[in-house]
Amino acid sequence: MIPISWYLIFSAALFCIGLYGVLSRKNSVAILMGVELMLNSASINLLAFWHYYSQIRQAPQMDSQVFVIVVFAVAAAETAVGLALIISAYRKRQSVVANDLSELKG
Amino acid sequence: MSTEILLWIIPLPPLLAFALIVLLANRRNGLSTGLAVGGAALSWLVSLVVFFRVIGVEGLSTNPIGQAVKWIPTGDTWLKIGVQMDPLSAVTLFFVAWTILMIFVYSIGYHNFGQPKGDHDVPGLPPHGAIVKGAHGKQTVMSIEPMYARFFALISLFAFAMYLLVVSDNLLTLFVGWEIMGLCSYLLIGFWYAKESARNAAVKAFLTTRVGDMFLMLGLAALYSITGTLSYQEIFGNETVMHMLATSASPVFGLSWAGFIGLLIFLGVVGKSAQFPLHVWLPDAMEGPTPVSAMIHAATMVSAGVYLAIRSFPLVAAGWQPGLPLTLPMNVMAAVGAFTALFAATIALAQNDIKRVLAYSTISQLGYMIAALGTGAYVAAVFHLVTHAFFKALLFLGSGSVIHGMEHGVLHTGEHIDPQNMYNMGGLRKKMPRTFWTFLIGGFALSGFPLVTAGFWSKDEILSGVFTGGHLLVFGVLALSALLTAFYTMRQITLTFLGKARTTAAEHAHETPLTMTGPLMVLAVFATAAGWVGIPKTFPLLGGLLPNWFEEFVGSMVHTGEPAVASHSLIPLATSLVVALGGLLLGWQVYRRVDKADAADPMAEPLGPAFVVFKNKYGIDKLYQFILIRPARWLAETFTYKWIDKGLLDGILHGIARLGLLLGSLLRRGFDQPVISGAGDGIGRGTRELGANMRGIQSGRVQQYMIVAITVLVLVGLAFYYLVFKA
Amino acid sequence: MDFISTHLLTLILFIPTAAALLMLFLPKDRVNLLRWWAFIASLIPFALTLLLWGKFVPAQSGFQFTEQAAWYGVLNASYHVGVDGISLTMVLLTTLLMPLAILTSFNIKERVKPYMILFLLLETGMLGVFMALDLLLFFVFWEVGLVPMYFLIAQWGGANRNYASLKFMLYTIGGSLGLLLAIQLIGVVVGSFDLLVLFDKWPQVTAISLPLGLSVATVKAIAFWAFVIAFAIKVPVWPFHTWLPDAHTEAPTAGSMILAGVLLKLGAYGFLRLVLPLYPVEAKTFAGALAFLAVAAIIFGALAAWGQTDFKRLVAYSSINHMGFVVLGIAAAALAGNTPDAVIAVNGAVLQMFNHGLSAAGMFFLVGVIYDRAHTRDLNDFGGIWTRMPVYGSLLLFTAMASLGLPGLNGFVSEFLVIRGSWPILDLATALGMIGLFFTGAYILKALKLVLHGPLNERWAKLNEISTREILVITPLAVLMLGIGVWPAWILNVINRAVQMWF
Repeated sequence: MIPISWYLIFSAALFCIGLYGVLSRKNSVAILMGVELMLNSASINLLAFWHYYSQIRQAPQMDSQVFVIVVFAVAAAETAVGLALIISAYRKRQSVVANDLSELKG
Repeated sequence: MSTEILLWIIPLPPLLAFALIVLLANRRNGLSTGLAVGGAALSWLVSLVVFFRVIGVEGLSTNPIGQAVKWIPTGDTWLKIGVQMDPLSAVTLFFVAWTILMIFVYSIGYHNFGQPKGDHDVPGLPPHGAIVKGAHGKQTVMSIEPMYARFFALISLFAFAMYLLVVSDNLLTLFVGWEIMGLCSYLLIGFWYAKESARNAAVKAFLTTRVGDMFLMLGLAALYSITGTLSYQEIFGNETVMHMLATSASPVFGLSWAGFIGLLIFLGVVGKSAQFPLHVWLPDAMEGPTPVSAMIHAATMVSAGVYLAIRSFPLVAAGWQPGLPLTLPMNVMAAVGAFTALFAATIALAQNDIKRVLAYSTISQLGYMIAALGTGAYVAAVFHLVTHAFFKALLFLGSGSVIHGMEHGVLHTGEHIDPQNMYNMGGLRKKMPRTFWTFLIGGFALSGFPLVTAGFWSKDEILSGVFTGGHLLVFGVLALSALLTAFYTMRQITLTFLGKARTTAAEHAHETPLTMTGPLMVLAVFATAAGWVGIPKTFPLLGGLLPNWFEEFVGSMVHTGEPAVASHSLIPLATSLVVALGGLLLGWQVYRRVDKADAADPMAEPLGPAFVVFKNKYGIDKLYQFILIRPARWLAETFTYKWIDKGLLDGILHGIARLGLLLGSLLRRGFDQPVISGAGDGIGRGTRELGANMRGIQSGRVQQYMIVAITVLVLVGLAFYYLVFKA
Repeated sequence: MDFISTHLLTLILFIPTAAALLMLFLPKDRVNLLRWWAFIASLIPFALTLLLWGKFVPAQSGFQFTEQAAWYGVLNASYHVGVDGISLTMVLLTTLLMPLAILTSFNIKERVKPYMILFLLLETGMLGVFMALDLLLFFVFWEVGLVPMYFLIAQWGGANRNYASLKFMLYTIGGSLGLLLAIQLIGVVVGSFDLLVLFDKWPQVTAISLPLGLSVATVKAIAFWAFVIAFAIKVPVWPFHTWLPDAHTEAPTAGSMILAGVLLKLGAYGFLRLVLPLYPVEAKTFAGALAFLAVAAIIFGALAAWGQTDFKRLVAYSSINHMGFVVLGIAAAALAGNTPDAVIAVNGAVLQMFNHGLSAAGMFFLVGVIYDRAHTRDLNDFGGIWTRMPVYGSLLLFTAMASLGLPGLNGFVSEFLVIRGSWPILDLATALGMIGLFFTGAYILKALKLVLHGPLNERWAKLNEISTREILVITPLAVLMLGIGVWPAWILNVINRAVQMWF
């Protein structure tokens, strides 16, 4: 059996990659992809703990799976909305570079 | 009608005429003449009826005819006013009625009634004459006065006031008439108000007399306070009141109240009757329409002053009996009167204006009356008042007639000369015979030409009264001024009428119409006949031929003792003969040789500097200007207004205001602005600065936000970890 | 009718206010309607005052036509009004001058509506002072009269109106402060503001508990001076007079008429109605000082008037001169109490108030007439106007002579009575006052000489003669001046009785 820490390390690595992507990429689409990675790393965490927990309690627990499915759905919706925003911004200003979209600068 | 009712009626017709002319007839010359002369004639008629009714009444002086009504409520009592007739007012009424009617008639001619309107005449200036086309081509003739109706309105009001003064039974209504006359004289002197000299003379006349009036008013207030009444009868006719007045001490000069009040009233007389030192207005009053207002001022109104002096004689003489030393107020009167008589006579010597000579002669003659009163010659003063009114009226009207004739000549020839300067005349006796003869009568009366003229009898009575009273200094002064009077009168007659014409205007002078010469002739009759009612019983030869009615009638007014003295010394009689005849002769001798209009006065050389002083009227006008009027103006304009009001009082106010402003601004700058405002502003400013400083954080870059968020999250997480879980 | 006769005073008092309030609803561009409305609204109180005069019984003592209603219960102050002969005379003066002032104002073209409203409110304020029988009510009306006058000067005045109106307002309010404090002191000590009660009790008060530990005499003396200064400013007595020439010079013509005609009387009325009965002891003590100030007002007022070159300012200073005689009469009464001489002096003072109301209003009006035409008030600019305007000249002469105190016209009667009454009591002051009377002549004649006499200044060759409306304004005044001068008994009867019973 794979110890839970492996899952967690994997998940953390994934999260960090996502985070790195979010923080360092200029392209909005890439940032969005980074966000997806981070979401997924969270989902992996959830799933890992669900599995672990089910084994300890000797009884399958469904809650977490539902939770993760909701996260997927939300992530999908979020990506759709995000992409739509990016496309809209692109149409307006012919750019998808995040730093250029600094309308809110104080 | 009863005499009381008639008395009430006497002053009213002229008043009604005044009102009607002002309200209805102020542009209709004919109607206003009718109203004014009609009113004056009615008053004259009623006055004569009253006069002849009362002269027969026994004991008129102690029980005068009269009637009073309540006028002003004063607490529980009333101030009453009314009318009364006693011997003094009766004789005054007589000459007032005559002279006033004569003035009215004379004014018709003087103001050129019936003549055409002048082409350049404007209200406020004397008429300049009109050009008419007649048989001999264009010709300049006299034009009617532009304010003809107004003139008649004013003299009607004047007549009302004079009548009111005479019929009044108390000092208050006397004062009312007195002041209304003052107003009329102001308006008449300033009748040609567009002339600078006229408007100044008008103000001068009003204010100079007002100086006296203020004292008079104070005197009335004092008298009223003490006695509780102003009625002649209740004061002068009441032994207890007079005794109380004579014995109670006033706070001033140790005089009795009677003396003090008498002096105050006398000061009023000094103003009205133009005695020194308030005489300055009368000569200037000659600015009025020649000669009518001059005559009003000189013959009628100034008589009112003497009338009051005579009325209040019991006050002045309270406690005095013939033979006793004079009281202080009497001494003052005698001194002022005698000095004025001489002083004005000397000035008259050196005047060239025909009216000014008469004006100074009036002052001098009034001084005579005052001096007579001051020495106790009561009846003589009244007598001279009456005769003087007639002959001085005659002289003034005569001089007006002369001027009128001269103006005719001036218009005819177009010469630019002063028609009032006697040096421009000469030889008028042939051109204006009626005027000449009447003027001669008046002049002789003024000089005291013996026996036939009224002036002789009254002047002689004054001189003898003063002499027998033992006041030799006063006698000497009066005799000297009588000499001067005769001298300057003859100078005037000689220069004006005798000799040859000295200018072409005088050659073309023309006799004036009958409306002017008629009154002269009437007055000339009185100027001779009025003296015959008062011939002293003791007079050599003539005494006793005619009853001395005047002395009996008026003498009953004086309660202070025996009327006049029985013995009649010949010294005053001789004196008056000598001075009158001598003065006339001298005057003729000196002046008959003047033959050129610009000749020097023959008296200028012998008198030397004195003549210059006389000519300049002793410089009194300039002196007053310098010591009284200019300081008063300074006091008003600079001291009171600029210094006190604008400087001190407003300065204090503005100082308070500035102090308030200063305090306010101190509070504002010292407390409000730094503390209160500072705190509020500081909070606001701090917030804003903070915000401004923080705005750099908001870059609008999502990734930076994220970095910050994560950094903070990590730090907070670490902090929790070490501080919470580890601890 | 019954209502009218029982509420006569209230009607006279508040009809102007009611008319002013109704006027708010009138259209502001119907100028003629507004003028006539105000004029008629001011005629009604005059008609009612004539009725009042007819019904008034001079011989009856005390106040007549009294009305009392609850007002300020907590303070024991009530709406209590009534008149005696003194206040009746003043009410007559006010209601008479008001229609004339409004008729004068028919030539006002700007903001007619507020102008007329202010005038009507002013009338209520002034009448209230004369009618009030309650100290607090008196004070309220006293201040109410002030405000409209301030706006009239500040809004419709001449070039320097801001300075003048502010000076007027601040000076008067400054005087009122002490008055208010003294009134409150009296009210607290006696426990009532009703004048009839106060006249009885206040002079007898012997103990006042005040924290400062001042004696009763000192407190009363201070309160006395608080009253005196408030009234002296209003009269105005020298040296509190400098607001007056400025206010008069800048005020519109009708404003000057009312200011001189009525407002100044408020001060003198205050002396008679309040100071003398409330402070008989103090008044006697300080009568000499009051007489001194009165004489100073007479002399310096006349001198300052003589020193003016501005026609309106000259007339304004003449008010100080004339009101000095009123104060002199009051000072005499203060010193002597109820003696025959003092009664005569106060008779003269009250009549002088009435007379000055007529002649000063007339003079200001006539100055306004010439100012409307020539747009200057500088005496040296005029000259020879009589030739152009004979009727105006004669009217000016007449009014000026009334002001000068010519016998036969009204001013003389009152001045003579004051002099007669004061002479036995204050001989030196009266004698000195004659100096002022002399200069009265000087300044009147100066004005006449410079305006009417002299060569016609060509600038005025086209001046129009006085108009019919203007003659209508001056005629009632002239008739009264002559009427009082010739037969003063009709009005003096009323005054005399009241004065006798008052002291």
